[in-house]
Amino acid sequence: MSFSTVLSASIQGLKVEFVNVEADVSNGLPGFHMVGYLSSEVKEAAERVRTAIKNSGMDYPAKKTVINLSPATVRKRGAAFDLPIAVSILASLGQIRERSVRNTLIIGELGLDGGIQEVPGILPIVLAARDAGIPLCIVPKANAAEGALVEGIQVIGAGSLAEVLGFLSGSIALEPEPYPEDKVNSCIKEMPDYSDICGQKTIKRAVEVAVAGGHNLLFVGPPGSGKTMAAKRIPGILPPMTMEESMEITKIYSIMGRIDAKAPLIQQRPFRNVHHTATRAALIGGGLIPTPGEISLAHRGVLFLDELPEFQRAVLEVLREPLEEHKIRISRTHGNYVFPANFMLVAALNPCPCGCYPDMERCTCTSGQIQNYLGKISQAFLDRLEICVEAPKVTYESLSREKKGENSSQIRERVCRARDIQNDRYKGTKIATNAMLQVKELDKYCRLGKEESRLIEQAFTALGLTARTYHKILKVSRTIADLDQAESICVKHIKEAIGYRTIDKKYWGR
Amino acid sequence: MKYEYWFAQIARVNDRKKYFLREYLGTAKDIFYIEEMKLNKMEFLNEQDVNTIMQAKKTLDPDMLYKDLKKKSIRFIPWFSEEFPEKLCEIPTPPYALYVKGSIPERTKKTVAIVGARRCTHYGEKYALEYGEKLAQCDVSVISGLARGIDGAGHRGALMGKGSTYAVLGCGVDICYPREHIGLYTDILRQQGGILSEFPPGTPPVGCNFPRRNRIISGLSDVVLVMEAGEKSGSLITADMALEQGRDIYALPGPVNSSLSRGCNQLIRQGAGILLSPERLLDELGILPISSGENTDKNKKVLETGENMVYSRLCPYPKNLSQLAEETDLPPGEVLEKLVSLELQGYVKEISKNYYVTL
Repeated sequence: MSFSTVLSASIQGLKVEFVNVEADVSNGLPGFHMVGYLSSEVKEAAERVRTAIKNSGMDYPAKKTVINLSPATVRKRGAAFDLPIAVSILASLGQIRERSVRNTLIIGELGLDGGIQEVPGILPIVLAARDAGIPLCIVPKANAAEGALVEGIQVIGAGSLAEVLGFLSGSIALEPEPYPEDKVNSCIKEMPDYSDICGQKTIKRAVEVAVAGGHNLLFVGPPGSGKTMAAKRIPGILPPMTMEESMEITKIYSIMGRIDAKAPLIQQRPFRNVHHTATRAALIGGGLIPTPGEISLAHRGVLFLDELPEFQRAVLEVLREPLEEHKIRISRTHGNYVFPANFMLVAALNPCPCGCYPDMERCTCTSGQIQNYLGKISQAFLDRLEICVEAPKVTYESLSREKKGENSSQIRERVCRARDIQNDRYKGTKIATNAMLQVKELDKYCRLGKEESRLIEQAFTALGLTARTYHKILKVSRTIADLDQAESICVKHIKEAIGYRTIDKKYWGR
Repeated sequence: MKYEYWFAQIARVNDRKKYFLREYLGTAKDIFYIEEMKLNKMEFLNEQDVNTIMQAKKTLDPDMLYKDLKKKSIRFIPWFSEEFPEKLCEIPTPPYALYVKGSIPERTKKTVAIVGARRCTHYGEKYALEYGEKLAQCDVSVISGLARGIDGAGHRGALMGKGSTYAVLGCGVDICYPREHIGLYTDILRQQGGILSEFPPGTPPVGCNFPRRNRIISGLSDVVLVMEAGEKSGSLITADMALEQGRDIYALPGPVNSSLSRGCNQLIRQGAGILLSPERLLDELGILPISSGENTDKNKKVLETGENMVYSRLCPYPKNLSQLAEETDLPPGEVLEKLVSLELQGYVKEISKNYYVTL
């Protein structure tokens, strides 16, 4: 038997493409040829595979070897084909019986010594294999725990090529990796808690409202006012993740090769703090075959943008679509890719370049400078941040005097209660939180009484609201009413919501 | 007149010399047609001045210049004109001419200048507005410099009081500086006010022009009010000029710890009048005698207890939400709700995100 085929897989965006690795070893001019629309890292497999086979104690005869990765129209990338190529060659050489590799998905990168190194994307690949009815996967040992998260398929972690050879030829018994129960349970790490923050009650209240209704949040305050600290603690008060959500996020992190073998399942909502030098591709995902960006890594969690005006304007503008649709579509010549991006956006900015405005004793900025600074963000973007609150400078007294506030679990309890109310209300619709309400649905879910209508009308003219801010205020007041466990929206809810309205650039301009 | 205008345009010869030269020769037309030899003989002109004048004869065409002026509907008022404000003739260094868009302050009316820092607090701005409005209501012309901060607030106040207000610029009257005050600029003209300058149209806003225009602001006024000024504020230059010109100066007292009121407090210490209320000022100006018991209605606001609790903690200097929550010991959500109530009733204003001041 000089020909054999082994099943493997590659990642395209978030989708898994199965790849058949075919090898043919025949007489002829000795050489190693690889075809099948390969990137250069796949072509380099030739050297790794040959050396690894030799160093695993097997002969590599001087024959003509042809490798084909099919389907030939799919671009193949990464070093994960090393192991299937090696196994396929060994099967062609008759070292492994062809029958034993049938219906087995093999994936892994080889070292020159024959050792198998970890590769990204194991979880989605194993999931896809299970769904395709494949009973067995051979993956690198380091990825075994991650693969074992999938139930209904056997996952074997292999440490070296010799081990795989032994297992497939029946001389070594390898146990399938058990479901990593202890690792799943132990990976709930201690999270930063709101009781670490002294005082700052206004921030905490605003955060609670924002989280309860899934609203995006903007902090305005001088440097060192605890904006980052407050933002970091938001995942801790978001409702706990369901298994489904955990798997969804773990898949994305797996593709990015960010899974910790000691804690394979991600059970905490992600918090992504993006630096203001980030490019568009870094934020939404990019590349020839796109990989997910920061907004997808923040899926079901928090995306934090500190120093908002320092970001390039074009970078912020690309966020507008995912903020509305909770996903991002990236188009390339190879096709369209859709990545999930359902995150809570938390942003922070200084009131002026020096951060001291409106304290005229210390602020050294001219009104022109302030206008310039805020002008870097479009009003359309600001309007998408429904809740806006000032983060005051922390005084020493409040640090030393104030007793510790509530802890995160107390806040989370109230948040969950408000979310439950929303779930009940929006049962049977696509809406999950108040923030997702569309304009036409506001009439149905945010009905106002006579007094409330009068108030909002008064506010409309007195404060110069726009139609967009009006809708946002309605949604936020709905959330405040839910936190209050009130059936209908009252005057006080609307008033508080008005207080959280988005900054208007003319505040500063005067 | 076109020759007069042409002569006034020669910026590099100073006003004093121009004045002498015109007095000596009679009219500007004579200056235009005089030979260089004769000019050279005049002792008060140096060689450079003569060169400048001769150069101007060649490069500036009086006909063209004058036509351009008419097109822009700018009035040219030289010192010898009947229209030239009397008050300006009295000051030590009067301008050679004024360029005016709109009108100039009426002779019969009282004029008050409202000046102060460009970088001001809400406190100064608030009182500039209030004084501007009250004075305008009593038919006093308000004069200021169209600058950011106090100046702008003074003008705006006067416009609110439906009075006429006059802006003296440090650039040509056809240029609006700062640009963002273009709305104010047009409103002043629409409300029978005027834009004045001693600089010919087209002069850019150069730094050194501004102290010079300050003497015109004070010169045109009977009284100068300094609303807010730091220790080195340009408004103190105006106050100095006003003193030199024999005008009365009033200053708005501010907190002793506010660096932006330090200049004002200093003026009061040096003997400037103290601004206690617009009514009192009007009384002192002899315009409107104080009617007793009328100005107490401000304290009679009917507020609900919670709102009152929050309102009593507020002042004209900004306070933020957390501070108020701490002082009242109420949950922040509730304080915010009260603040919005007060804002909607027009008692407070949010000047920056969650920073509030009383109105």
